[in-house]
Amino acid sequence: MSTVSTARTVELIAATPQTLWGKPAVINFALGGLGAGLYLAALVEVWLGGPGVLKVASWLGPALVLAGFIAVATEAGRPLRGPRVLSRLRTSWMSRELWVGGIFMALASAEVVVPVAWHRYPAAAAAIGLCLAQGFILRHARGIAAWDVPLMPLVFLLSAIISGAGLLVLVEVGAGRAPDGAFLFATLVAVVAGLLVWRGFVAWPGGPAFVHSTAELREGRAGALILAAGYLAPLLLGTLALTVPSTGRGTLGLAAILMIAGQVYAKSELILTAGQLRPITLANLTLRRRTS
Amino acid sequence: MRWGMVIDVRRCVGCQTCTIACMQEHGLPAGQVWRFVADCEVGEYPDVRRLFLPMQCMHCADPPCVPVCPTGASRQREDGIVWVEYGACVGCGYCAVACPYHSRHLIHEARGYFDALTPPELATAQPERVGVMTKCNFCKERVDGGRAQGLTPGIDQEATPMCAVACIANVITFGDLDDPKSPVARLRAETKAQPLLPECGTEPSVFYVVE
Repeated sequence: MSTVSTARTVELIAATPQTLWGKPAVINFALGGLGAGLYLAALVEVWLGGPGVLKVASWLGPALVLAGFIAVATEAGRPLRGPRVLSRLRTSWMSRELWVGGIFMALASAEVVVPVAWHRYPAAAAAIGLCLAQGFILRHARGIAAWDVPLMPLVFLLSAIISGAGLLVLVEVGAGRAPDGAFLFATLVAVVAGLLVWRGFVAWPGGPAFVHSTAELREGRAGALILAAGYLAPLLLGTLALTVPSTGRGTLGLAAILMIAGQVYAKSELILTAGQLRPITLANLTLRRRTS
Repeated sequence: MRWGMVIDVRRCVGCQTCTIACMQEHGLPAGQVWRFVADCEVGEYPDVRRLFLPMQCMHCADPPCVPVCPTGASRQREDGIVWVEYGACVGCGYCAVACPYHSRHLIHEARGYFDALTPPELATAQPERVGVMTKCNFCKERVDGGRAQGLTPGIDQEATPMCAVACIANVITFGDLDDPKSPVARLRAETKAQPLLPECGTEPSVFYVVE
């Protein structure tokens, strides 16, 4: 009898779904992006010379961010200790998220009380900071292979801009107006950029653990739905609205709803489905085969 | 000084005595474990192997769980022990998703084994641990208490983590990894002890002997 040995990397404990961050975390990530994105989109619309819904964005944006923070606080084991989260600004992206979120809420909502423009730029910077901070929170979750990806902050920033622009279009349509053509074009550019970043994320060369945990986003029904309803359909409908204005506000409204729903769904799948604890592996394990 | 462990998987029989000893030492509520022994079947027939893998906090030299903590409750001592200050923890779970080793556990409620808490369960209940993150702390109270008495952790049982003391097969060797004369450092040097998930770059203080 002889023994044949092979040494190789082996998976000892399979990847398991993380269970600590559930729907409240998804709500925080979704509403944070929606609120910050709405404000950024409203500023861009004003900058492009459109009629603007900055007044609405100045209260609705911070309100959405606040609702997200309240939602995620309900998930914490000791929510009354929440203010302590502000104490590790130097090292923790969760602290930074709360700081920039607070600054954004204060600066953006100041427009409601004092209609001056000086604070819009720092508010926009805080809005961008909030989106990036949310992405960096996931980026530094080293236990989850699907989140520990350098592209994550950019995914969150573009997701926020797309969903925020969708909400702005929805507000405009609801008010009986059609958004400015230049703004619509800028929105379509953002959707294309978001699509490229999203595809870059799902195709990231992140190793077997990443490939396994993101399989649903890449090859599954969820991935197809995000791609089709979250990016391609809004692109098609938006292009139609831009080139054939007679298609009406209904087309724009549908595109806006799909933009919001697509991004919320993408974040939900990212947290709840792709959020799997890394499999435990050993770099070298010899497997012996006995032959006679 | 850097406390660490070498776990000789070749000797482990998967009896879970270390798991129970840990639960008892730390008065963990029902359903909570800070360590466990995984029963692993690896490979595909005919190249297969079965091994028992004791899992716990790896007390990484570069622990990803510490910097992400938004309140500073997750801490690392000079001697490498990673622990949680319960009074400062908000229970957000960020450290648990930052840990690649599945070794942080949030105690949602202090459940007992029966409808009501039994007298022993009441005696060992620690309400400050409810709603916060908990984990293996290398039995730092035993280590510190033992050293205060002049004992050597890893050699004297009173100063050694309970899992290592209770193990029936002498699987777990504890001690100072920086002291080349310590049993744990010698065992690490003499065997092909390897950490789990080295690709994560966390520099674990727990090593496994599998060959």
